[in-house]
Amino acid sequence: MTARQKLGWVIASVAFLLVGVPLLISATGRTDLYYTLTTVALLSIISGGVWLTFYIGRINIGQGAFALIGGYVSAILVTQYGVSFWLTLPLAGLFCAVVSIVIGLPILRLRGVYFAMVTLTMTEVARLSAFALPITNGAKGIVNIPLPGAVTLFGVTIIPDFATLTNPRLAFYITSVVMMVVCFAFLYRLVHSRVGKICQSLQQNEELASSIGVNITYMRILAFAVSSFLGGIGGAMFAAIAQSMYPSSFGVQDSVNFMLNCFLGGLGYVLGPMLGTFVLYFGWDLLFKTGDFQLLIYSSILIVLMLVLPNGLLSIRLPVQKRASL
Amino acid sequence: MKDILEISNLTKRFGGLVANNNISFAVKEREILSVIGPNGAGKSTLFKLIASFLHPTSGEVRFRGQRISGLAPHKVARMGVVRTFQETTIFKSMTVRENIVIAHHLRSRASLAGFFLGTSTAQQDEEEFARSADEIIDFLGLGAYRHEMASNLPHGHLRALGIAIGLATNPQVLLLDEPFAGMNQEETKRAIEIVRGVRDRGITVLLVEHDMPAVMNISDRIVVLNFGEKIAEGTPKEIQENPKVIEAYLGVEDTAIGI
Amino acid sequence: MEQVIINGLYLGAQYALIALGLTLIFALMNVLNFAHGQMYVLGGFITYVIYGQLGLPFPLAVICSGLTLAAVGSVIERFLFAPVIKRSAREESTMLLAAAVAFFLDAIILLLFGEKQRGVPKIINGVFVSDSIVMPYDRIVVGVVAMAMIVAFMLYMQYSKPGRAMRALAQDRTAAQLMGVNVDRYSTIGFALGAMLAGLVGGLLVSITGVNSGIGGSISIKAFLMVMIGGAGVVGGAIAGGFILGMMESVGLTLLRNFGDVTYLVIFALLMIFLSIRPHGLMGKPWG
Repeated sequence: MTARQKLGWVIASVAFLLVGVPLLISATGRTDLYYTLTTVALLSIISGGVWLTFYIGRINIGQGAFALIGGYVSAILVTQYGVSFWLTLPLAGLFCAVVSIVIGLPILRLRGVYFAMVTLTMTEVARLSAFALPITNGAKGIVNIPLPGAVTLFGVTIIPDFATLTNPRLAFYITSVVMMVVCFAFLYRLVHSRVGKICQSLQQNEELASSIGVNITYMRILAFAVSSFLGGIGGAMFAAIAQSMYPSSFGVQDSVNFMLNCFLGGLGYVLGPMLGTFVLYFGWDLLFKTGDFQLLIYSSILIVLMLVLPNGLLSIRLPVQKRASL
Repeated sequence: MKDILEISNLTKRFGGLVANNNISFAVKEREILSVIGPNGAGKSTLFKLIASFLHPTSGEVRFRGQRISGLAPHKVARMGVVRTFQETTIFKSMTVRENIVIAHHLRSRASLAGFFLGTSTAQQDEEEFARSADEIIDFLGLGAYRHEMASNLPHGHLRALGIAIGLATNPQVLLLDEPFAGMNQEETKRAIEIVRGVRDRGITVLLVEHDMPAVMNISDRIVVLNFGEKIAEGTPKEIQENPKVIEAYLGVEDTAIGI
Repeated sequence: MEQVIINGLYLGAQYALIALGLTLIFALMNVLNFAHGQMYVLGGFITYVIYGQLGLPFPLAVICSGLTLAAVGSVIERFLFAPVIKRSAREESTMLLAAAVAFFLDAIILLLFGEKQRGVPKIINGVFVSDSIVMPYDRIVVGVVAMAMIVAFMLYMQYSKPGRAMRALAQDRTAAQLMGVNVDRYSTIGFALGAMLAGLVGGLLVSITGVNSGIGGSISIKAFLMVMIGGAGVVGGAIAGGFILGMMESVGLTLLRNFGDVTYLVIFALLMIFLSIRPHGLMGKPWG
């Protein structure tokens, strides 16, 4: 496919997501789908961050911690300091990036299972801290977070006040899709530029990467910080949508799920986490009807998948390649 | 000729074990210098100390008068001292050409952000890297494998790829870790030509090697280690006649140490 | 002060036992068993049913917990982990499988036992009181039994034939195979043993803390913490890590009481500092 065709596909897909989907939803009256699709978009962003750490060769099960931190940063800034939500969004991301740099310095030297263990522990510690710290208001959490306000520039309203909208769900959907598109465009460019090759060189052999002059410490920190930034803004969006934030909003199971999303979509493809999230989330949702057996069936399917496709779900590569045009 | 590397009083201890003890020698510009010694003599440790993959307990390595011991490996590489690895240390899931292109990293003038944004400097860099990579591929006779996955390369060519990656960084000193190990006579002959070719590009070559005939053939000078200490230094002829060296190697054969 | 130390030892003994199971499985197969906490919970529920509901003797119940988990562990190893390890080189796949198994056990536990917190009658009533120490008798019994189990486990690993084989396996899989160790068999035995340890502790502790289907994850995480402190895959490291975490928790709860429950935040921060000095833990071997 030529670059032009690719661009055409991208524009068509984005247009479909932003215009086509809302039209379809209003035609069918399935407004509940807004929530589902918004969730998928945001979870893809968060998983996209995890994917980037995979890309430098680290198994990251700590993303739940950053989503949690990001959510709290935004919630606290909005409710206690009256900061505009739209400002807290990047701030939440930046805060997570800074935290990840502090934590990353010691732990990014660890590899494989060890890194996985530390990051998983981090998720649990974040949850416990949210319970304990005064600023997060413990188990009661932060509730009644106001909807995102208006943004005006030179007297022109760029973003309307969500509280005045008749359909804030649509507004959240549009916002999340735009964020997702920007996020994956960023990741796509990153991976397909030399920076991506450098990340890959880290994944394949850190010693050799170092010997050809790559500052591996810096690259690891950079990737981890970007990853955590994405976790942070994703978490902040969730806090705004739910209008509440609890210590249990993101936990170990979420961290594991973010990792699963990446596996399922394929670790070699930048759009993998998007596809993985879509499949897993909808799969989980479909199983909702099975009630008590939901988790049992879900985990059984995962186990069977691992037995059938032991080389990770990576072997499911074809569908991802087809979607690479998206 | 000027000294390009000075190794002075280099000592490395691992706990109670002394891997390198008070080793000093100098490497002259554009020479091929080999470090030899029986197994366990401390060659690998010395090698890692010079490339700064390990930091010495005491003593130092200077490159063009500047101390490089204690710096991070990528900084040492940036200054022009680059190592290759034994065996299969390559980027396995990249093609041969991708391996060599990525190894041009040090030559980039554009920043990471520049590459991300695709500025004109970055594009010039990319073109330059591609050109240079093709030149290196031809120089090492890897043309037939250009787009082959590196993990699929035959054994002898893996070593060549290792050297190619080293060359791509535009080094002033290239450290080769056992470039002839596991090769048959024919392959060794070709590898020797390659190493000479590398030197003829103006690069100083320091190599660690077991293959005695190859070392004698290729080296301008040789440093011999035994039990972590330097026991001799000189031209191949001097080394061959040095009684200490003969004793060290015979002793090994007698007691089969480290085999 | 004495009270803090005694509490720490009591916690440490049970933690060490949990960490031992995890580290054993890790050492033998390089598998990070996410489901370890779920195995602990399953053990707890089995003791709850046998001792709490059927009224059979407590020791029998704990033994049943151990045996059931040993069976569960060997089945999981033989039919899930072994085939996946055999056909896949990536450590990610076993991790994914372990996560799926953890979810699966969670689901089973939830279906069989519900989500209520369950407790059992005290095994011994009464409290030991001295000048500086107050300790219920049942905790003393559990602590002593846990320590006895640790000693028994170490003796087993040191002197029995399977123990020696497993140590060889942990050190170098290929070499062990060449020496004639039946790798498949001892991997299964090791996995079963690790799962059994989790089941035994779960059974023991149900008499003190009760059991709840939701705690599996946080038990696993505590085990990971201990293994990171002590060094992964080393028996001594797991024991050291267990006692250190138990002690830190005990001290933390006393010292930090006024600052809310931030003990684990502090422990994690300390761990970060510790790992930057010793990335492979107290006794772990360097890797990579």
